[in-house]
Amino acid sequence: MKELLVRLMGRVRLVPAPRYHSLARQFEEARRSGDNWKTRAGEALAHVKSLERDVERQSRLLKDARAELDKRRRAEQEAIALREQLAATERELVRAREHLMAIEVKLDILEGAANVLDSRTRTIVPQPTDTSAKA
Amino acid sequence: MPRRDAAGPAVDSPDAPYVSIVLTGRNDGYGGDFIDRFFRTLRFNLQEFQARGITYELVFVEWGPPHGRPLLAERVFDEVPELEPGASAWYAVDSQYNAALSLNPRLQYLEFPAKNVGIRRARGRFILTSNCDVFFGRRICDVLEQRGLEPGVLYRAPRHDIELPAGCKVIDWNVLEDPAVLAGPAHRLKPPFMGSATGDFVLLDRASFHDIRGFNEVYRVARIGIDRNLLVKAMSAGIRIVDIGGPVYHVNHEGSYRLNPTAYAGREQEAPWGDRRWHSAGVSYVNGPGWGLSAAPVREEYRYHYLEFDWHAVPQLVDLGGVVLPVARPGHPAPGRYVRK
Repeated sequence: MKELLVRLMGRVRLVPAPRYHSLARQFEEARRSGDNWKTRAGEALAHVKSLERDVERQSRLLKDARAELDKRRRAEQEAIALREQLAATERELVRAREHLMAIEVKLDILEGAANVLDSRTRTIVPQPTDTSAKA
Repeated sequence: MPRRDAAGPAVDSPDAPYVSIVLTGRNDGYGGDFIDRFFRTLRFNLQEFQARGITYELVFVEWGPPHGRPLLAERVFDEVPELEPGASAWYAVDSQYNAALSLNPRLQYLEFPAKNVGIRRARGRFILTSNCDVFFGRRICDVLEQRGLEPGVLYRAPRHDIELPAGCKVIDWNVLEDPAVLAGPAHRLKPPFMGSATGDFVLLDRASFHDIRGFNEVYRVARIGIDRNLLVKAMSAGIRIVDIGGPVYHVNHEGSYRLNPTAYAGREQEAPWGDRRWHSAGVSYVNGPGWGLSAAPVREEYRYHYLEFDWHAVPQLVDLGGVVLPVARPGHPAPGRYVRK
């Protein structure tokens, strides 16, 4: 009988009060749960966006780091080349100084010889006793 | 007729003395009391050699002896009875050679061409070039007595400058080795060149001395540094330079370069020894084949040989090809560094 009544009430879209209250509670819980999930979805989305930005930033940093590494590697190779060049230049400088020493020694000899010859010439060539310049 | 001297004995003769001592000097009063200092030193050294049975030859070169004064050769045999005429070779070199060789009129005594005259003619298996007022130390005498020298090795000895006590007439080991007579700190020889007062002690086998053709006589602009320059040449030629292990002693006297090496600072070209800043540690040399005045005519006199002047014996005035760079050898430092004058 009770079941027949419930069916008849259902035909006119009526439900017993306890059922109604139970459904209302379930509805309310579902709504709250939905809101809750919406909030969490929003937060998750924001987190995803933040992570995406982070990934982007990290990618940029990685790219910069790679560029910096390349730059440093190039600089290191340049430094090695410069060091080799410096060593070669130093060797050249030592050689140049050795030659300079030899040249200066030779110049000393030439200067000495010129002075000696000048002195010998002066003793051979008589000094004029009178000037030929006319007033 | 004067004979022309050959280039010196080419090989060791069987009766060659173990060592030839090559000295040069003249009776010109150098340092105030040259003859007294020389004879005193010579007596001490010869006494030591004779006591130890060292076979030696004294090769003395009187370079440009002054006119009007007796030759040292005319006095030494009377005043140094230890000197046996048979163990000495005395050469007097015509004074015209100094003028003919000189590239610097301030150099009144070309010490190293003079020593080359002696080196070229020395007969000993080893040749020791030194100076007239240098006493050979005990260690040196020991090595010579033990015949402990090796060919191809140039031996150096540090110089100890000493001041003798007033009135000191007798020189013996007690005097020479007394630390109280040292005039300043003893010199130390520094590798690789072992330089410092090099002219006072250079000891090398005769063949090597001939190979390197003696001291530099291409650069005749200075006297100072020529001795050190020999070390550069020797090292470049592959000759090892070592400290013999004991000192020589030198009595300080007036005019000694050591007493005032900077006397001509700022006017180096006026110095009687030449400009000490020349590159003596940075260049080497190749003397001509006539080094040591080997072509000079020799006239025999009583107890000495006289080298007469002859232009044929004089090396060319300028020999730029004789100035060369030293060879750097593995394991040795690079030859001299450039020093700006």
